[in-house]
Amino acid sequence: MPAPDRPRVALFVTCLVDLMRPSIGFASIAALEDAGCEVIVPEAQTCCGQPALNSGDRSTAADIARRTIAALEGHDAVVVPSGSCAATIRVHYPEILEDDPAWFPRAQALAAKTWEVMAYLDEVRGWRPTNVDLPATATYHDSCSGLRELGIKHQPRRLLAAVGGLGLTPLAGAETCCGFGGTFCVKYPAISNAIVGEKAAAIDATGAQLLLAGDLGCLMNMAGKLHRDGSPVRAFHAVEILAGMGDGPAIGETA
Amino acid sequence: MSARDAILAALGPASGDDLDRAAAALLIDPERPPVDPTQLEETFAARLLLPSVAASYAAVAGFADVPAAIAAYCAEHGLPRHLCAPPDPRLDAADWSGIDRHLDPAPDEPLALAVAECGVAETGSLVMRTAPTAPMLPNFLALHHVVVVPRLVAYLEDALPTEPMPRGYYWITGVSGTTDIEGTYVRGAHGPRYLHVIRLISEN
Amino acid sequence: MTAAFAARVDAALADPVLKIAVERTAGTAEAKRTLAVDAFPDFEAARTRAAAIKDHVVANLGAYLERFEANATAAGATVHWASTAQEACDIVLALCRQAKAKSVARSKSMLGEEIGLPHALAEAGIERIETDLAEHIIQLAGERPSHIIWPAMHKTREQVSALFKASHHAPHEEETIAAMAESARRHLRDAMLGADVGISGANFLVADTGAVCTVTNEGNAELSLVPPRMHIVTAGIEKIVPSMPHAVHLLRMLSRSATGAPLSQYTTFYTGPRRPGDRDGPAEMHIVLVDNGRTRMRREGLAEMLRCIRCGACMNHCVVFRQIGGHAYGGTYPGPMGAVLTPAIDGLAASRDLPNACTLNGKCQEVCPVRIPLPTLLRGWREKSWREGLEPASVRSGLALWAWFARRPRLYRAATATALKSARLMGGGWLSRLPLAGGWTRHRDMPAPAPKSFMDQYRQGRRR
Repeated sequence: MPAPDRPRVALFVTCLVDLMRPSIGFASIAALEDAGCEVIVPEAQTCCGQPALNSGDRSTAADIARRTIAALEGHDAVVVPSGSCAATIRVHYPEILEDDPAWFPRAQALAAKTWEVMAYLDEVRGWRPTNVDLPATATYHDSCSGLRELGIKHQPRRLLAAVGGLGLTPLAGAETCCGFGGTFCVKYPAISNAIVGEKAAAIDATGAQLLLAGDLGCLMNMAGKLHRDGSPVRAFHAVEILAGMGDGPAIGETA
Repeated sequence: MSARDAILAALGPASGDDLDRAAAALLIDPERPPVDPTQLEETFAARLLLPSVAASYAAVAGFADVPAAIAAYCAEHGLPRHLCAPPDPRLDAADWSGIDRHLDPAPDEPLALAVAECGVAETGSLVMRTAPTAPMLPNFLALHHVVVVPRLVAYLEDALPTEPMPRGYYWITGVSGTTDIEGTYVRGAHGPRYLHVIRLISEN
Repeated sequence: MTAAFAARVDAALADPVLKIAVERTAGTAEAKRTLAVDAFPDFEAARTRAAAIKDHVVANLGAYLERFEANATAAGATVHWASTAQEACDIVLALCRQAKAKSVARSKSMLGEEIGLPHALAEAGIERIETDLAEHIIQLAGERPSHIIWPAMHKTREQVSALFKASHHAPHEEETIAAMAESARRHLRDAMLGADVGISGANFLVADTGAVCTVTNEGNAELSLVPPRMHIVTAGIEKIVPSMPHAVHLLRMLSRSATGAPLSQYTTFYTGPRRPGDRDGPAEMHIVLVDNGRTRMRREGLAEMLRCIRCGACMNHCVVFRQIGGHAYGGTYPGPMGAVLTPAIDGLAASRDLPNACTLNGKCQEVCPVRIPLPTLLRGWREKSWREGLEPASVRSGLALWAWFARRPRLYRAATATALKSARLMGGGWLSRLPLAGGWTRHRDMPAPAPKSFMDQYRQGRRR
């Protein structure tokens, strides 16, 4: 079925964006609308269930998966401003519901139309930001789930290349985990700290003004470490930059 | 129940496919570094220079030229013309005057000579097999290991034994090395520190 | 986190030397592997083939073991079977007694470590000569391996130097790594040549020939297995390959994944004892096939783990291993593969931290030469740990509360609105201390939550 001219796209905001940084959600809406989509924010969404999934509580994860599927499935596409939450729906929902004959096909159908926001903008819509300028230097961290479960690597870089004045400085170890790992960072804080300490040093060493990535959890982890260490690097979700919101407050800054 | 019976019972019968056919299907067109069959000599010699192999190399015509090549190697390294050599009739046929050969290696044997089955262009490996004329221990004991290579093949698969396996069948692809202390590479951990290949051009 | 694991992690993170030592060796291995993989024609297809070879073996393991046994026996070796670690050690000790062995030369084998063979030999009063340089170092230090390829990667040159000076008969004088290696060479050679029995593991067991394959860079296996009158092999039953060409494919993957070399320096196939007319070689060859939980792993959802060829790439590329080193894992096998294997070998209750102390970033799976889905297997252990009630009560109740709200969108919105309202009392910007999030704020700052959630703002009409 060809993509409709004006697809009805459900935005799955993610619990972290909902509570910590709504601007990422609004940036996603702005970019998606600019890319010709009708954006719907389903009321019944909460969290994708990753905390349960990663803690081993499979039955709770499956229960939340069913509710999320029901909330999201009646749209042309589901777009998520997070690689790891998108991967939960796209990769893990079919896994955790594979023994449920009623829900497995629905999980598969939803998985097939769920996208990380930048992958959707780039691959599906062929969109590029127009008239967005941000004279700054930035470095990009590839969050692990997006990178390895969804193959998100070039999409954000292609989109960011269309931002006027923005220079991207390569990050040494860009594909190395930042140590966030969801509940890992609070269950094993000392190990997580050692990992993010190295990541923060690598980010600092680029000399870039901005740190960009596609997952708020990783961004909060890295930005929180950079701030604690007194680094001047400011952090944004890449979609905020793409939506022309790079002149607003960075993560942790007051408006 | 014996451990054997318990393990085999726990594993159950084979999956029912024709094992040999299924196993053979897994070997069709294996991925491997390409070797140009017209460039075996060049490729083999180049592999010997890899840091992980680091062998020196000399080319002579045939077995009759091995004693002179050994003498040259000894002179170059300041070694006495005194070596542990296998009772290989192809070596015995050469003229060894001026060079002392013995069969049993000393614990601190400085130089051992061996004859390989063949060399492998893919990796620079020397393919060895044990036999009454080819003991194994000297090749792992001596500080200098000199190996005569009468033939080359392209790939490791081409070097595999077709008749029943010898007791020891082995590939030597460098010297006895270690990176066990701080990842620093040291040659001559237990056995050879130097590997020298004498390639017999006219034997191929 | 269990107290034992926490203590090992704290010790590792507090050790200023460990980090440097691990980084040196694992960092070098990572760089060399990358070069080797990039130079290989189609490494991804080669990984798929390697996984398929191992899956074929594991699916038909019983048939292949019988085939191996028949061929090894025909070549003059004796094949023994052991269901447990204890049985395996008992067989080895009985063989050593039969050989009237005073000393055995051992060539590094992780299976030997897994079954506790060093300890069993010591109990039996048999002198054990570790011939791999790293194993020699940790034997002198009285420690366990911290890596499956570089067991002494946690030791610095200064520590090695002190160990050698205290125990070698003619120790090095110059403080260089080359001089230290030379000291070990002198020290180990006589002991190796004089051992009564040589014990090795196996990298591969070749079913159609009965051959046992070992891979070393030092040549210590060959040097320590040829002179003694008896060679004993202890090998996990999953080490089988159908034939020599299958072994060739896996050897190409193993060396590139482990050290980045196209092939290890010494690859040897041993088939039976000394033949008539041979000038050297052992008079007897014994092969002990060890289960020790492998048939159970195959039955209980861990068959993919039996693909493992012990290259160490997963740990070299693991962010957690790179910070805490191998000893913190507390088992025979460290890193991601260890986090899957140790609960299977030592029990989940004692090791439930291992599958949890992982960010599930997937790098290990990406570099695994046999495509083991390590994160999926680790998730499997987390699920079992949850089902069996091994997770702490605080985690369970916290998750249950969150899940209760997550299932009820309207109540979830109300609760989060209230939470955000009270969070506003803490101020905006960066927070350096937070109730209930000490694990986070001990090491990093936390951005203040939004004054109002996205959903509330959206409902109130904000669109951009």
